[in-house]
Amino acid sequence: MENIVPSTATAFTTLLRSDLKTQWRNRRSVILMLIIPVIILFSWKDIIDKIGGAFALSSCITIGLTAIGLMGYSNSVARDREKGIFQRLRTTPIPSWCIMISRIGVQLVMIMLVTLAVFLSGHYFDKITITPVGYVFALITAIVGGTVYLGLGQVIVGLIKNPETVASTTRLVYFAFIMIGMLGQFGILGDQLQKIVEWSPYGTVHTIITRSLEPSKWSKTTTEALLATIGYAVVFSIIGIKKFKWSNK
Amino acid sequence: MPLQQDGSILNVTNVDIYYGTFQAVNNVSFDVKAGEIFGLLGPNGAGKTSTLSAVEGLIKPQSGNIVVAGYDIKEKSLYAKASMGVQLQANSFQSELNVAEIIQLFAGLYNVKLSDEKLKNILTDIKLEDSESKKFGQLSGGQQQRVSLALATIHHPKLLLLDEPTTGLDPQSRRQLWERMESMREQGHGILLTTHSMEEAEAVCDRIAIIDHGKIIAVNTPQSLIDLHRTDPKVIAASRKGRITLEDVFIGLTGREVRS
Repeated sequence: MENIVPSTATAFTTLLRSDLKTQWRNRRSVILMLIIPVIILFSWKDIIDKIGGAFALSSCITIGLTAIGLMGYSNSVARDREKGIFQRLRTTPIPSWCIMISRIGVQLVMIMLVTLAVFLSGHYFDKITITPVGYVFALITAIVGGTVYLGLGQVIVGLIKNPETVASTTRLVYFAFIMIGMLGQFGILGDQLQKIVEWSPYGTVHTIITRSLEPSKWSKTTTEALLATIGYAVVFSIIGIKKFKWSNK
Repeated sequence: MPLQQDGSILNVTNVDIYYGTFQAVNNVSFDVKAGEIFGLLGPNGAGKTSTLSAVEGLIKPQSGNIVVAGYDIKEKSLYAKASMGVQLQANSFQSELNVAEIIQLFAGLYNVKLSDEKLKNILTDIKLEDSESKKFGQLSGGQQQRVSLALATIHHPKLLLLDEPTTGLDPQSRRQLWERMESMREQGHGILLTTHSMEEAEAVCDRIAIIDHGKIIAVNTPQSLIDLHRTDPKVIAASRKGRITLEDVFIGLTGREVRS
């Protein structure tokens, strides 16, 4: 019998289907990623008028994106690498990049789900109204922003091999991002830190999502934040891919 | 793609593998013919798994050539991989997927059209017809090994690579696996197997290579290796039962020192 190499599309579809099933069966982690931003948004019900609907929505989306990239993606990659799942897949006649792109594809689906969950919660719980263009624009920038955290997750699994160390590091980085990011943006940590946070991966992603929810307020600074976001995503991805090893051995 | 002119399905020629400055595999050459079970034996850290990983395309040798079913693993990697089936030491698959889903996944990756009937046949063949919805982690060691072998052969590869396939199996499961390997040999598959079990090597291998410190130090049929080395003083010194066994030859050639 002649052995035939599958087309890249067939291989990718097969992998993606399997990765989506795997993600769906990890319902606890899916629910956690969806529910945390929604709970935060719900708890801000009384201060929405003060901070603004777009600011609240973008903060919650940014928190969700951070969780997906840092905790969801990097932990699943670290775990499967430790178990030898990647090595087994790499012995099959598919390009290795398909394996990673499929994983990233699943996370992009998660990014869209989290963004939609935040939009729906904002609409129903907090009566936040955004124009349809704003929603679509924000969904696109959420995907762009999500790549920053996926890139950062890739850096962590590139530099750290042990899955437990990856898990504890990502938790630490996640909480550092959220706490410093949120408190810094509110100005609680001082003006200097507020400026630093504004141009950090947390701040730039937050800025582009906030402004895409209100496209009329998009400014030169927002464009600079978008460029910075793309820059972070590219730099993190290059470092993460360069340092990544398929096996822990 | 035709076999090599000499009927071999795998040609490994002058392969060197380094990890940093450490040379794990040193100028290794051998071939596996269609319808042959070829055993690669060696102590821990001798270079067996590194050699196998290079054949599987998981690591790139610094020099040398590996040709699988006529395809160079460096230049036609995907074609070479499509011609081989692999069972790694760690049989890990996504723990969230069940047996049927894992089989469907690998069928897709090897471009095998899998009807429900064909899936049932595979499950029946590996005696897991009632376990299709069980997660891989819920299976016993023997059942996991059977699933893993079914995945490695789902596309009827010309070459089958088995890395210590019987480790941790009970005698019944081990015998069953040997029978499967022999049946595949009869169907014309070439099999490259690494093992620590001399009993296994003697029982199923047509030829074996002993590898130590990254170098192949002997290649022959199990019986010829015994006959050739039965007068070697180191082999005689290693003998425990008054008659020379393959294990005595192995200990005589690789030494008594325990490897890490």
